[in-house]
Amino acid sequence: MHDIPQLLISTVLLGGIYALIAVGLTLIFGIMRVVNFAHGEFLMLGMYLAFWAFTLIAMDPYLVLLPAIPLFFLAGLATYALVMRGVIHASHNVQIFTTVGLSLALQNVALVLWTGDFRFIRPWYYSTVVRLGDTAFNVSQIAAFAVAMAFTAALFAFMRWSYTGRVMRATAQDREAASLMGIDADRVYAFTWAIGIVCVGIAGVLLAPLYPVYPTAGLQFVLLAYVVVVLGGLGDMVGALLGSLIVAAVEVVGSYVFGTAWKEVLYFLLFIAILLIRPAGLFGQRGAESLGV
Amino acid sequence: MRRHGAALVIFGAAALAPLVVRNAFLLDSLILILLWGTLSAAWNVAGGYAGQVSLGHAAFFGIGAYSAALLGTRWDLSPWIALVVGALLSTAASLVIGYLSNRLRGPYFVLATIAFSQVLLIVASRWRGFTQGSEGIPVPFRPGFWTLGFADKTTWVYLALGVALLLYLIQRYLEGSRIGYQLAAVREDEDAAQALGVASRRLKVVAIAGSAALTSVCGTFWAQYVGFVDPFYVFSLDLSVRFALAAIIGGIGTAVGPFFGSVLITTLETYLRATFGGIGAGLVGIYLIIYGCLLIIVVRVIPQGLAGFVGGLSRRP
Amino acid sequence: MSLLSVAGITKRFGGVLANREVSFDVAAGELVGVIGPNGAGKSTLFEIITGFYRPDAGEVRFEGKRLTGLSPDQVSRLGVGRTFQKLRPFQGLTVLENVMVGALQKCHDVGRARAEAREILERVGLADKADAYARTLSTGQRKRLELARALATRPRLLLLDEVTGGVDQRSIPGLIGLVQEVHRAGSTLLVIEHNMRVITAVAQRIVALHLGEVIADGPTEAVTRDRRVIEAYLGQAYT
Repeated sequence: MHDIPQLLISTVLLGGIYALIAVGLTLIFGIMRVVNFAHGEFLMLGMYLAFWAFTLIAMDPYLVLLPAIPLFFLAGLATYALVMRGVIHASHNVQIFTTVGLSLALQNVALVLWTGDFRFIRPWYYSTVVRLGDTAFNVSQIAAFAVAMAFTAALFAFMRWSYTGRVMRATAQDREAASLMGIDADRVYAFTWAIGIVCVGIAGVLLAPLYPVYPTAGLQFVLLAYVVVVLGGLGDMVGALLGSLIVAAVEVVGSYVFGTAWKEVLYFLLFIAILLIRPAGLFGQRGAESLGV
Repeated sequence: MRRHGAALVIFGAAALAPLVVRNAFLLDSLILILLWGTLSAAWNVAGGYAGQVSLGHAAFFGIGAYSAALLGTRWDLSPWIALVVGALLSTAASLVIGYLSNRLRGPYFVLATIAFSQVLLIVASRWRGFTQGSEGIPVPFRPGFWTLGFADKTTWVYLALGVALLLYLIQRYLEGSRIGYQLAAVREDEDAAQALGVASRRLKVVAIAGSAALTSVCGTFWAQYVGFVDPFYVFSLDLSVRFALAAIIGGIGTAVGPFFGSVLITTLETYLRATFGGIGAGLVGIYLIIYGCLLIIVVRVIPQGLAGFVGGLSRRP
Repeated sequence: MSLLSVAGITKRFGGVLANREVSFDVAAGELVGVIGPNGAGKSTLFEIITGFYRPDAGEVRFEGKRLTGLSPDQVSRLGVGRTFQKLRPFQGLTVLENVMVGALQKCHDVGRARAEAREILERVGLADKADAYARTLSTGQRKRLELARALATRPRLLLLDEVTGGVDQRSIPGLIGLVQEVHRAGSTLLVIEHNMRVITAVAQRIVALHLGEVIADGPTEAVTRDRRVIEAYLGQAYT
């Protein structure tokens, strides 16, 4: 039983990073009603950004965060203008295939440019371990958690108290009423999309020192983020946070009990079970899923 | 005959090709065009005609492929038996997805189908004792019709052509029959369809089950043709996307669309592989970039697909 | 015996009581109007009769068979047709195909269903639009299509939800004539209508709902003079 503190802290650390991925996804869904199937590809791009900055100019991944924020914001605005703007009022299927197409294109741009090789970042603190009582943690993991949480908290505060955040929520509630009040929905969507992309891009930078970097690296994380987001209720930011902790707990405890090989089965089964039992998420309103929103 | 015009051209050319062409590479491309077209057509039964868009169809392809490999290597059974077993297993598995289709709509349903195929991927790649895990499993080559071992590509062309024709006719039937109109109604507006007495819940399950069984059959043929089953390929999300891709680009919900789409994308892929394969393996990804962009453009600009766009072929008279 | 019998229907949405012990009967051959101000519970009642909602209490019987608990498609196959207030044509199908889906319920032969659908389109005055896509129709034409589709299932009872709602003034007389023609041809009709002028023109009998309850049920002239009905409508006008 002396493993419990370690498991607990591992869960929280992992959950924090998942939260940052999931919050971007759920933000985009909550405001724009679009499930971004290309979310994982922006995570992958974030990982590559960290990798190249480190390899080419020996820039520390945590320093890369600073240019990463404006870069991903611009990338978000660009993909919105080129790809998403035209389908924002289209049917679900059109939106799904548009983001799937974007995912396919980005993944393979990475493959063509940087090949399919696994790449690793090894900063000097790579194997530095922090000990606390019976528990031990990699310093990168703790740093990633701290930055992810700070960023998530900032986003929460922004959505809750800033004027722009309120405008975004108003647009999500009632697109027409918002436009009657002079809110430019298109700008809100562009901004929302870009913020969502920044979240996941930064998560990519934070994950780069911890996981191998390759063109489809985003997939495993984004599948996980879908689980998190459905668990918490699509579009629900607090739910996403709780969902992240649950999924992280399942992963940590699952690998402890069954071994790492089978942990993914656990959360996918959890995912399907949740979809069947409470498709609107553990904390969401019932009925949203069959209304197709 | 006019309404079958495009199909006649594609299938006619495929039937005549082996008489003139002896080049193994070209025949191989032809077989793949037919096979991928057939798979997209099978996807189209659920995704196009019934409107139940799945990105988890690789699950059924994988079940079919593994049936061929496992029944062949472990029990020395004929691929024809594997074909039936795979189709039955896929039908059973598809009931899960069919059930989900009655509880979830839009993106929720798509996510559930992805999760479903991922579970099978993990099981196949981790259950080392049974599936040989992530190494994959070779499919034994045993010459003869009963064992589906043909050294000669021409035989494979006609086999693939036969399955392709079957799928084409099934889709044509779906366009002109009672069940086809009812499925179209469910796709357009399920509540309104129910108000007209269409048993939509049952119909969706039937369409998905049929689509799954046909996908599985193609998976068995594919495994037997290629000779090797890799879990990370046969259960991959990429493969599921690929099935949808050809149907959407060619013309979703049309009989000839999936084949038309397959001619385009498989040819492009084969061409680029042949051209760049030797120079740098990374460049092979170019065709996937093109597909991605094509997908984005087609769903937005010509949602009826290229087949519908080019000749108004998508509408029945 | 009555064709449709609604007995003690109660339906709650959260804290809101949409229907409270609603009871009334419809005899074969009648044309009954259901009126009431916004939020009176008319549409909820329709959804319950046609199987889209389940009531919290009470039951609906049609020709003596219990409808409550059946799915919408089962209700339709038993002979109860309906239209939607918020029109729901199959946008991607042609007008003819829309009606064929209805006709195919009873008729298993596609060719015969097509012929039947053409006949019905002729009846509702949409014959010249048969090959147009449903999404290209005007609101008035969509109302006709909605009606044609429901008629094609050959219902013994037809529920019409706001036939003239959202239609421009000039199209209203034509739609009224159509409803009367359908009634004369032998259908039993239950019609929700907001517009009092329309309902008094077509209905022989009216059931008035207010805040989920039946406040009047009787011949049209009597119900329209009923004090509680007038108050309900006036009350709405002033709030």
